[in-house]
Amino acid sequence: MNNLKWYFPKTIKEATDLITKEKVLPHAGGTALLLRNLEKINGLVNLSDLPLYYTKKEDNTIEFGSMNTYADIISKLKKIDTENILLKSLQNSADTPLRNRITIGGSIAFAPPWSDIIGALIVLDTKIILSGKNEGVFPIEEYLKNNKLKQDSLITGIRFNLSKWKTFSYRNIRTKKDMPAFHIVVMLQIENDIILESKIVITGTVNRYDWMKEIENYLKSREIDIIEFSKIEEMVDVKFSGKRFTDPEYSRKLAGIELSRGIKKLVRES
Amino acid sequence: MEGTFIINGKEKTLNFNADERLVITLRNNGYTEVKNGCSEGECGACMILLDEKPVHSCQIFTASVQNKNIQTVKGIGDLYLPHIIQNAFVEAGAVQCGFCTPGFIVATYALLNENPNPTEEEIKQAINGNLCRCTGYVKIIDAIKNAAKSIQKERASL
Repeated sequence: MNNLKWYFPKTIKEATDLITKEKVLPHAGGTALLLRNLEKINGLVNLSDLPLYYTKKEDNTIEFGSMNTYADIISKLKKIDTENILLKSLQNSADTPLRNRITIGGSIAFAPPWSDIIGALIVLDTKIILSGKNEGVFPIEEYLKNNKLKQDSLITGIRFNLSKWKTFSYRNIRTKKDMPAFHIVVMLQIENDIILESKIVITGTVNRYDWMKEIENYLKSREIDIIEFSKIEEMVDVKFSGKRFTDPEYSRKLAGIELSRGIKKLVRES
Repeated sequence: MEGTFIINGKEKTLNFNADERLVITLRNNGYTEVKNGCSEGECGACMILLDEKPVHSCQIFTASVQNKNIQTVKGIGDLYLPHIIQNAFVEAGAVQCGFCTPGFIVATYALLNENPNPTEEEIKQAINGNLCRCTGYVKIIDAIKNAAKSIQKERASL
């Protein structure tokens, strides 16, 4: 056994001071830490006593404290926005007992390639609220790309706007228990049979995630009756590493088919 | 380390290593009804209720849940005073080797506490963190449906 030390701060200030210590990490739900070699860690800062279980809704904006679990967020979003893309992504993620344990903050801080929520958070243009050295509010994409933001800082909440857009989420798995090889998220704003805007992201690619800008441009202001779904399939131009499950080219083809099916489903439902 | 926990309604002070997982601490202290299966959060044999929510105890550091409420399958019912759910599993023949059964009972208990009249889909959702390699799940789902009916009947008669 190593000399792992546990800390139990009662305030965010205490917690952010503690994580500046060498090799000391925050512990939220803890499921990601179980995958790490604890021999290399000196201490864990338990965040469970911090006031980070809150939900705030103001007009069209919702904010969740970072210690809300997946299950907490599912139950809260179900009551206010059943079409929400984060809700759809979370409902298919992991399983019931894990969703009771994994926190939204811990999940974003860890953000593995198989993450089920990163795509949803990106298309929602989620803002990450940080305390500590990099105190402030940052767009999710900036947080993911800039590792310096993660140093000596703690995610205390997330914030995004609710919308009336139609949504679709697809995770590529072999069995229900699998972590996905890739994940597709789609948001469409449809009015009077015309797609006004769309937001489409595929995660799990070699770039970690890719926006489908070409498809978004193709769909913009397009009448739903003249969408060529085979064209959408061909427009999916992403690279997969092939490290998970299968051949990268097969995954690309499959992503095209599933994305096209997803858009077709949303258009039919509108 | 030393920490206090409320286990099956009783306050207990236990010793454990700083990096120890809850399933190990519980088993080392006599709660062997919590089974150590895959240790990866896949099989659900180690399922317990933590503050009334079903979780995999193999996916939790013991130190992180001090002072919390922990309920094992024996806190739900035992050989001498079985819970309706446990009787329903026996009557439906939903137990074969039995290794996964404590986890399924815990998952069912959490489900029926929250939703006494679940649909088949909701039952499947509730037990999606539990694996059974013997029964094929049909009898387990039958048992859960029967338990739900019995609980509703019992409540109606009160």
